[in-house]
Amino acid sequence: MTRFLASRLLQALFVLLLMSMLVTVLIALMPGDPVDLMLAGNPKATAADAARLKALYGLDRPLWERYANWLGAALTGDFGYSRLFAQPVPAVLLPRLGNTLLLLGASFVLAVAIALPLGVLAARRPYSLLDDAVNLFCFAGISVPPFWLALLLILLFAVTLGWLPASGMGPVGEDGWLARLPHFVLPVATLTLASVGGYTRYVRASMLVELRQDYVRTARAKGLEEGQVVWRHTLRNALIPIVTIVALEFGTLFSGALVTETMFAWPGMGKLIYDSIMGNDLNVALVALLLATATTLAGNLLADMAYAALDPRITFKDVRS
Amino acid sequence: MRSRFAGRFTRHRLATISAVVLALLALAALAAPLVESALGVDQTAVSLLDRYAPPSFEHPLGTDELGRDVLVRLLYGGRVSLFVGLAAALASAVIGTAIGLLAGYFGGRVDDALMRLTDVLIALPLLPLLIVLSAIDPTRLGVPEDWVSGEDASLGRIVVLVALFGWTTVARLVRGATLSARRRDYVRAAVALGAGSRRIMLAHILPNVAAPAVVAVTLTVGNVILLESVLSFLGLGIQPPLPSWGNMLTNAQELVSTAPMLAVWPGLLIFVTVIAVNLLGDGLQDALDPRSGSSR
Amino acid sequence: MRHVLAVLALTAGLIVNLAAAPAFAARDTLTIGISQFPANWHPSIEPMSAKHFILDATRRPFTVYDADWKLGCLLCTALPSVEAGTAALETRADGRQGYAVTYTIHPDARWGDGTPITTKDVLFTWEVGRHPQSGFTNADLFTRDIVGVDAKDDKTFTIHRDKPLCTYAEINDFAVLPAHLEKAVFDSDPAAYRQRSRYETDTTNPGLWYGPYRITAIESGAHVVLEPNPSWWGPKPPFRRIVVKAIENTAALEANLLSGGLDLIPGEAGLPFEQALAFEKKNGAKYSVIFKPGLVFEHIDLNLDNPVLADARVRRALLLAVDRGAISRQLFENRQPVAHNQVNPLDRVYVEDFRHYPYDPKEAAKLLDEAGWGEKRGGTRVNAKGEKLSLEFMTTAGNRARELLQQVLQAQWKQAGVEVRIANEPARVFFGQTLHERRHKAMALFAWISSPENIPRTTFHSTMVPTAANNWSGQNYMNFKNPEMDRILDDLETVCEPAANKRLWTRLQQIYADELPSLPLFFRADPHILPKWIDGIVPTGHEASTMLWIETWKVKE
Repeated sequence: MTRFLASRLLQALFVLLLMSMLVTVLIALMPGDPVDLMLAGNPKATAADAARLKALYGLDRPLWERYANWLGAALTGDFGYSRLFAQPVPAVLLPRLGNTLLLLGASFVLAVAIALPLGVLAARRPYSLLDDAVNLFCFAGISVPPFWLALLLILLFAVTLGWLPASGMGPVGEDGWLARLPHFVLPVATLTLASVGGYTRYVRASMLVELRQDYVRTARAKGLEEGQVVWRHTLRNALIPIVTIVALEFGTLFSGALVTETMFAWPGMGKLIYDSIMGNDLNVALVALLLATATTLAGNLLADMAYAALDPRITFKDVRS
Repeated sequence: MRSRFAGRFTRHRLATISAVVLALLALAALAAPLVESALGVDQTAVSLLDRYAPPSFEHPLGTDELGRDVLVRLLYGGRVSLFVGLAAALASAVIGTAIGLLAGYFGGRVDDALMRLTDVLIALPLLPLLIVLSAIDPTRLGVPEDWVSGEDASLGRIVVLVALFGWTTVARLVRGATLSARRRDYVRAAVALGAGSRRIMLAHILPNVAAPAVVAVTLTVGNVILLESVLSFLGLGIQPPLPSWGNMLTNAQELVSTAPMLAVWPGLLIFVTVIAVNLLGDGLQDALDPRSGSSR
Repeated sequence: MRHVLAVLALTAGLIVNLAAAPAFAARDTLTIGISQFPANWHPSIEPMSAKHFILDATRRPFTVYDADWKLGCLLCTALPSVEAGTAALETRADGRQGYAVTYTIHPDARWGDGTPITTKDVLFTWEVGRHPQSGFTNADLFTRDIVGVDAKDDKTFTIHRDKPLCTYAEINDFAVLPAHLEKAVFDSDPAAYRQRSRYETDTTNPGLWYGPYRITAIESGAHVVLEPNPSWWGPKPPFRRIVVKAIENTAALEANLLSGGLDLIPGEAGLPFEQALAFEKKNGAKYSVIFKPGLVFEHIDLNLDNPVLADARVRRALLLAVDRGAISRQLFENRQPVAHNQVNPLDRVYVEDFRHYPYDPKEAAKLLDEAGWGEKRGGTRVNAKGEKLSLEFMTTAGNRARELLQQVLQAQWKQAGVEVRIANEPARVFFGQTLHERRHKAMALFAWISSPENIPRTTFHSTMVPTAANNWSGQNYMNFKNPEMDRILDDLETVCEPAANKRLWTRLQQIYADELPSLPLFFRADPHILPKWIDGIVPTGHEASTMLWIETWKVKE
């Protein structure tokens, strides 16, 4: 167990290191540096201005040197300043990370809460009309362009009906949960609709497999009530692959939030990653992308561990293959 | 065998309907030039006097903000969107199948290395990476300048990017199928008879792994069409004047309160296409491998 | 199950009620929506229109162009002038001439914490501005244009200008900094100043602001709250609180306005033109939409290295072949005027007396025939060598207004037998590299944003062509070289006698119109969307935002 964890952690660190290099190189390959862009359209700016600003931001030094400096400092816990926001990277990152986790957390809980009963219902009557309806609903959620869905929701609930605020994280100057609640509804709904389909289908698939197992037949034969068979015995076993797959999807949630955050003016990580890449804010982009990668890796690890922990037939040695 | 497949497939009502819908959409997209000439319009012709025209005999779905025929542009956009989806899915399937076959067949170090690479790639956050890659300058990587300028460049770029990152699912599936195929008697027999690795892989194993690959490709098509729309939303998708459903939808969202149909049509087409592709993939999966349930 | 439904219904009801409440907010709060959130808050580091829009409510420049494009004084008591004796020509020790210009700070001007604004602050600002490591974006003002500043007393100071400029009184970009708060930060480490400045670390400190409002709360990426500044010396501002919210997606921005979440969307960082036009048609009864054309000059830079474009006849033909009037009428509904020259007609220095290019396809065809593109093959003109008349046309990808305009132009040139291939790039590539290193093959559509009476030296002087040798400096992306133009650009700065000055401006506009190094298209209009109950907002059409005059805004009874 310890060895397994250690090797996994080592591997994760290696991936992170690789990722940091990749991002540095890729951002350097993006044409035009931030200073040129900053001065574009300003007929008063001179070449001296550009050269001075480039030297100031360290853009005149070679790439490997900039990377080495960054890595050295980062290892001591100093992630430098954001070029764009003129603030230390953690000060830019952490509040937005919190906002995103809030949004993702809420929609994740909601999606699972909907997916479990729906998936089980569909699995109990495979190929029935109900199953088809659930299936259609699932795929509908997956198949809508997310920004279109968000726009339709805003137009319907905020503009036409006037029931809900169209954007923002809460009324300005109010921190109370109750006052902020309405602001959560539309973004959470958008994210939930996009993810609930996938989860429901995992639940259904997993339940289908389990319901065919011998122990279910035995339980039924013993005269156990059908509801108990399904909800207590089968679902518990079916959860193993579900947990695994959901944990694997952890990292993708991060980037999925970008569109929702943009549409609802929700200052979160997805938006920050986009802005930092486009604004050539290497320090922020690096840490934010590494954070996203680390989340995926953690999700993978969690999936493996959950798999091994929940299913006694599997030992950690088997997990890798 | 064939009839059992067909039976299982048609039992999937939704998949059957989806197949028909997709076929119709593809046909319509292919027929774009015919529709264009039948209506007597030119998809690129700008007419400032006919902006936002309501549906009429000449323009069945009206005209857009530059007076161009919406129907014809939707059909041409469909060509682009469907092409991007298919091309990217096929390209990633080819890469994924090759890598999965090699890993599964040779095992050992090769397998280790390739699967580690797959793991790493899966761990990377896809959308941010695509954003970076869409904005980099390919000429600095030695790509000839002629390839990256011009009106179709954005199309090729998306296909390449998706292929580069999209092959992992197929590779894993194919590797798994290869591993089990390798243990079959006829493969062992072929090895014993001294058949070359290439021949065994192509003639004996590939047919056995085709099923999961086909399903994965189908599902990828839908994902790519959706991804193109998101990239368009971020300003990094297919570039005008080439129409795609993604960029038509993105352009229309600003005008959604005054000309809502301009946003409704491309959005609806993306939705219908992607959902149909997904349902089709689902049906195929059930038909090809009923034991798997329908997990992805 | 029934319980669950009941709870759901209750929750839904609760949510609806909660949401409905703020819709009845009183008129003492104004909520403004902008499409971009400022990344930083220092007034002189990293220019950004959204930032300046917000900051304009919290600070006042010494001098500024007003809504009539006349230079005026906001933080000083009177605009210095030679006539009033507050400006004088002087000869420096090295024998060069310049102006000594004397300003007096408004006697009641105080920072938000009560500390008076004095010449100490002015001297400190100059010190920071000319320090090479302070990171000021437009440091020329401090390092080159101003050669010295001396303080006469607490309120009066004299600025020594490098050259005998006609516009000697203008110091619009001299944003005074609070020495009592910033000096310690700057002195401890000038290189870290741009990060440690209190504008970034302590933005809500009242002492940083001195306008009618001060920043009292910030939620990064979401909103800024402005409240009246008790130390403000002018008329009482109209709102108890101003909330500026950033919503980047403009469709969502519009939806927020319509759902009552916002009161106003300013033109400085608001809706794209096309969207605002559509908005006006649908909601013109509820909102006033003001389109203010201004100093944003949309044009096509031609690369004169291109052998096709090197021929002036082809350049003229290109302009004659497009119906800018029809585009302005149909596409812009007369809200964005056609640009006939690179000087705006609203500008004092504009003249009428230069060559115009009305839509004239016959004349265009004649010119193209003369230039050797007489024969047509498949609708496209070819020359004697059989080469097609084909040009590459670039602009910023994702800028919808430009992409639309580009497609219209492409269609019109197609009718004239000119094949135009569109090849757009993201803004960072287009500005950061393509234009900067003059890699555009033929045509590049973009805009210059300038101030009134701006002398277009960096764009038309022959020494301003970016090359590898001069480290890509200058903005003459066209490679336009004209000795007379060079001379005029040199003279314009210092020949101030009205008649002579006017002659120079006239020749400048004539040469531009004759040579057409770039194709003038339109002057962009920024749409300001205002609620009907607000009065007194006068958009300027240049870089100074309406917020500089916020104390004159009024709530209608």
